[in-house]
Amino acid sequence: MTPTGPPQLVEHFFRHESAKLIAVLTRAFGVRHLDLIEDKVQEALVAAMQSWRQGGIPANPAGWIYRVARNRVLDALRREQTFQRVVSQVQPSEEATEPWLPDEQPADEQLADSVLRMIFVCCHPDLDRRSQIALTLKILCGFSLAEIARGLLISSEAAKKRVQRAKRALAKRRVRIELPPAAELSARLAAVHEVLYLMFNEGYSTSHGHEPLRDDICEEAARLTHLLAEHETFGTPETRALLALMLAHSARLDARVDADGAVILLADQDRAKWDRNLIRFAEMWLERAKITSPSRFHYEAAISLSHCHAQSIDATDWATIIRYYDRLISLFDAPLDDAPLYVLNRAIAHGESGDPARARVDLAAIRQHPDLRNYFLLDCALARLHELEGDAAATIAAYERALEVATAPHERALLTKKLERLRPS
Amino acid sequence: MPKFMFLYRGECKRQQELSPEQMQQAMEGWRDWIEGGKQAGWLLDAGDGLKPEGRVLRPDRTVTDGPFAESKELVGGYCMIEAADLDAAETVALSMPDTGGNVEIRELAGQSMG
Repeated sequence: MTPTGPPQLVEHFFRHESAKLIAVLTRAFGVRHLDLIEDKVQEALVAAMQSWRQGGIPANPAGWIYRVARNRVLDALRREQTFQRVVSQVQPSEEATEPWLPDEQPADEQLADSVLRMIFVCCHPDLDRRSQIALTLKILCGFSLAEIARGLLISSEAAKKRVQRAKRALAKRRVRIELPPAAELSARLAAVHEVLYLMFNEGYSTSHGHEPLRDDICEEAARLTHLLAEHETFGTPETRALLALMLAHSARLDARVDADGAVILLADQDRAKWDRNLIRFAEMWLERAKITSPSRFHYEAAISLSHCHAQSIDATDWATIIRYYDRLISLFDAPLDDAPLYVLNRAIAHGESGDPARARVDLAAIRQHPDLRNYFLLDCALARLHELEGDAAATIAAYERALEVATAPHERALLTKKLERLRPS
Repeated sequence: MPKFMFLYRGECKRQQELSPEQMQQAMEGWRDWIEGGKQAGWLLDAGDGLKPEGRVLRPDRTVTDGPFAESKELVGGYCMIEAADLDAAETVALSMPDTGGNVEIRELAGQSMG
């Protein structure tokens, strides 16, 4: 017996409809009308909210919003008197590639195709990385400027600037809402990977404490990567490995914070809270990502999954993890300059596996890297080595140094607690 | 039992600034509130939102476009409830989701005079 109540909306329905509508309408009218389209989509969503909260959800909510948004964009363009030029010609706009604006909501595959095109537009190589991420969150993830600011830990003003800069660049270059031509495909796809990877990491980083909206950024990055991964052209082994990596990390999202929102380190997490379904999906996608020359996404996904598979921190297969780090680091010509965090993480793995000498070699090699010079995790890694060797005084001294350079309140709290436990009372 | 009308004033502008996610949460909050009120019996009419544009009939029988009130004064929606007294109606109003503006609680005159 399945209860059939009134129609319900799926989670994040408004957010994802916003992305689809903007993608479809921009595809039809061109990127120079993006601001107008965003406004009208927002109006359509407000109309839906007001109507549905009283009268209930209609049988086809997506079709309802599509009709309202489409008509409002057409009305607005008509008022701008560009209507004749824009709509009545065979080419609906100079940027659009085909006359295309269905009266009713487009079919799922057409919607997905429009969103895919928009991913490549938001990650266009003429935009700087930060603008690409901000625009992706705005257009493809339905984030407001205030949410982008909160999620990326920047001011609303900065979020607005990044989005506007991106839109201006796209309009100026009359970027078409289309998929990249074959000759550019691999470079353009690599740029998309990079943007989604950085976006995910932005959301995953706990360096400023916990904020639920940042989990949403991770979820959105994984959703867009999933869309690419399912596609016959864009679902390359790299795309699939990137998705595996995001899913494996996401499996541990909920276990990383306690009831008060404080961050819990890997060693102290309740592993029963890790999401077994996500881990299985991550395994499946990594299995489907096989390739003769694995990318960094492959190795990062494999490392993340190794942690997922360990029953406890002591049961971690450090030897395998070190082997993955070795191969990952060997992908870089100058890893000490370009991938110091991987080297740091390998040092931690060496220490935990009972080889502090190797750990020290790695740590010494990156000690002077400009990004790490005042990085508290480096001192934490050293402290942990001393702790493993049973040198209490050196352990305390290293944690004290870490406390000197740590800035985020929750990191300082973690270190203070650690020191309290270590110091002889 | 006395009847009260809730008038929602000045909600339009803030709604334009909501993110899609916030809109969905707001809508679901409203739906739960309306369902709860219907089941408990105190919600007589879930009411509706009002479009901002309309016409105004003036005492001299002329009709103008309008109302064009200050946006924070504009009535954006309403509903009808019943409650024992004004304090009880206030308690009901406090259980409402955010309208983005003021909620004016007004008792229907005919009921209480009877």
